[in-house]
Amino acid sequence: MDFKLSEDQEMLRSLARDFLTKECPKAKVRELEADEKGYDPQMWERMAGLGWLGLVFPENYGGTGATFLDLVLLMEEIGRNILPGPFFSTATCALPILEYGDEELKAKFLPQIAKGAAIWTLALIETLGGYEASEIRTSARIGDGQYVIEGTKLFVPNANIASHLLIAAQTGEGDKGITMFIVDAHSLGVEVEVIPTIAEDKQCQVTFTKVKVPEGNVLGNVGGGWDIVEFILDRAAILKCAEVCGGCQAVVEMTNAYAKDRVQFDKPIGSFQAIQHRLVDMFVNVEGLQYLVYQAAWEISVGSPSKLHISLVKAKASEVYQQACLDAIRIHGATGFTKEHDVGLYFRRVKASEFAMGDTDLWRERVAVELGL
Amino acid sequence: MDFKLGEKEGVLRRAIREFAQKEIPSEHFCLLLEEESRDEDWELAMSTSKKLAQKGWLVMAWPKEYGGRAASYWEQMVYGEECGYWGIPGISMGISGVAWVGPSLMQFGNEEQRKKYLPVIASGEPDGVWCTGYSEPNAGSDFANIQTRAIRDGDEYVINGQKVWTSCAHRARWCWLAVKTDPNAPKKHHGISIFIVDMKSPGITVNPLLNYYGVHIFNEVFFDNVRVSASNLVGEENKGWYHLMQSLASERHSIGPALYGSVRRLLEELVDYAKETQHDGKPLCQNPVVRHMLADAAAEAEMLKLFNYQTTWELTQGIIPIYGSSRNKAFGDQLLERISIIGMKLMGAYSQVDPYSKWTKLHGIIQRLYLLFPGISIAAGTDEIEKNVIGQFKLGLPKSY
Repeated sequence: MDFKLSEDQEMLRSLARDFLTKECPKAKVRELEADEKGYDPQMWERMAGLGWLGLVFPENYGGTGATFLDLVLLMEEIGRNILPGPFFSTATCALPILEYGDEELKAKFLPQIAKGAAIWTLALIETLGGYEASEIRTSARIGDGQYVIEGTKLFVPNANIASHLLIAAQTGEGDKGITMFIVDAHSLGVEVEVIPTIAEDKQCQVTFTKVKVPEGNVLGNVGGGWDIVEFILDRAAILKCAEVCGGCQAVVEMTNAYAKDRVQFDKPIGSFQAIQHRLVDMFVNVEGLQYLVYQAAWEISVGSPSKLHISLVKAKASEVYQQACLDAIRIHGATGFTKEHDVGLYFRRVKASEFAMGDTDLWRERVAVELGL
Repeated sequence: MDFKLGEKEGVLRRAIREFAQKEIPSEHFCLLLEEESRDEDWELAMSTSKKLAQKGWLVMAWPKEYGGRAASYWEQMVYGEECGYWGIPGISMGISGVAWVGPSLMQFGNEEQRKKYLPVIASGEPDGVWCTGYSEPNAGSDFANIQTRAIRDGDEYVINGQKVWTSCAHRARWCWLAVKTDPNAPKKHHGISIFIVDMKSPGITVNPLLNYYGVHIFNEVFFDNVRVSASNLVGEENKGWYHLMQSLASERHSIGPALYGSVRRLLEELVDYAKETQHDGKPLCQNPVVRHMLADAAAEAEMLKLFNYQTTWELTQGIIPIYGSSRNKAFGDQLLERISIIGMKLMGAYSQVDPYSKWTKLHGIIQRLYLLFPGISIAAGTDEIEKNVIGQFKLGLPKSY
């Protein structure tokens, strides 16, 4: 048992913090929210240069061979700073390619991702908005050595700028009837429309009208798609929770600083117990969330993921984030309610992070199942 | 970073499990800190503490010369978890001696005191049972406000005053007593000292204070010209406050792992109960509200586990976990409260049944816990005081009072 980060991990964290502080100040975050693309291509290139985009890939695919826990630490910094763009969506596709792709697919796609030449996103959920195999209605019919995909996906992050989509489509009945396809985002029949969201984070509706996909673009086995979805959900949920956890830390820190600085009744408001205890609760919950994230990530890193531990984190993270943001706004008073203040940037991301990779209720239910209920 | 416990801890865990299955009645499955109340519970606690001593577990952290076996912090943590899980009584003999008197004597007692008192605690015998005299009618959270006085008289001190909420005083052979030795000190926490007092001394009166359910945990203790030898002063005169702050950190830390063990067992029992119990024509476990409540509690239990791990890890790094101890206690208290309330909800109408009656479910543990947790979250520092500690020492906020 060891709670200490390795030297390399400390370095990754501090480099990431410095880079993001410098390259992506809150003015930049606001600019990218208003931007049509929602990301900064130059920054993306520099991130590739830092080795972030292929962090967990083996060296022969242009990566640095880091662990999943390292990736989690990076996501934590991304959440802490807020970095608009396709880092998460690309990672959620790269991980299953690494795990389920054959040699040809891996050699074709991973080096591209690592050098920043491809942007990926996962097109999974549909109009019902849930993460169940039964809710996948997009169909893929085979004929003439290719599949034809028809259907509509919702809340697909960054599809407006994606070069590739990883999509779940129905090739048969039930859980065994789902197959994952790699789709060139510029294929004929793919239409993308950005959904206006409160996080202004470029989630999209993607419509597939008779989109032709070569047979070779199936990831894993035909009918084996839901296993891949589960693989993605477990890992992407932890990445998302790491991002949430970073966001929580930023919110607690800015609020703590404000409580020491802001004077009312001739005293810093942080000296009042109504404020102090609220801050303590925020801080303790966020710290607990951080350990939950690290534990689940470490278990994935060493090859023994725990369904229970993964589910617990995702069931807890958004609750903690929401409460931390609400408390932070309350402690900041009217200032925290303004467009100019940073706390609102975080609060507006709470729901997006909850619904990414399954909401609190879905993961609570998974916890219940793991408990034996 | 590494989230796996070692093989040594695994061996210990299995050994305790084996011991518990053999020695502990099956209706014990949660550590209820009220064993000093009923005579039969106390008898079981004391006979178990002797067995724990023989196993070398009771004070496993202590050096061999004082009856321990120099166990690692991780072993201590596992021991705490398992004792909580199995509800092993007697692990603390009324808590004071094992949990903080011993560690404090090792930190700032003298050699003579260590030799005299530590082996007796380590033996698990009734003469090793201690109580702690901190709170007074006008000194609760504002502990430095104590007024019980010790005045030097030759080779002795003469003690006068009153303590209150003194847990286990009616079972204890010794009292770990905080008194004022310099009432004129410029700051009120500068004039405090600690004494070891024999509870059989003339001039001591112990009056029971029953809780709202008639459970006898604490007492009021009166000191009327009680004479103690000057050699019973622990540490430096007037430095008691600083000694006690360290002592309290040990006390708070010792509670976390056992609390987690209890919580984990309670969750398991409640899951089984929900599966076996029909409500409105279907198993309780199919009720989404029940599923969600238990899932949320499980997430918090996992947080408590990791908090304990983190604090224990700090100890292995030579860090005194002042913040962590307060965090774990306050968080654990809130979790216990939550689980008690969930448990009572699951019991439905049976939640109102006397825990010892034939109508009770799950051996009455849930009701007993429900009746007990408000007290637990006050003992050893209220949650509000713990949050003050965290606010000041971890968040660097100005003192709030």
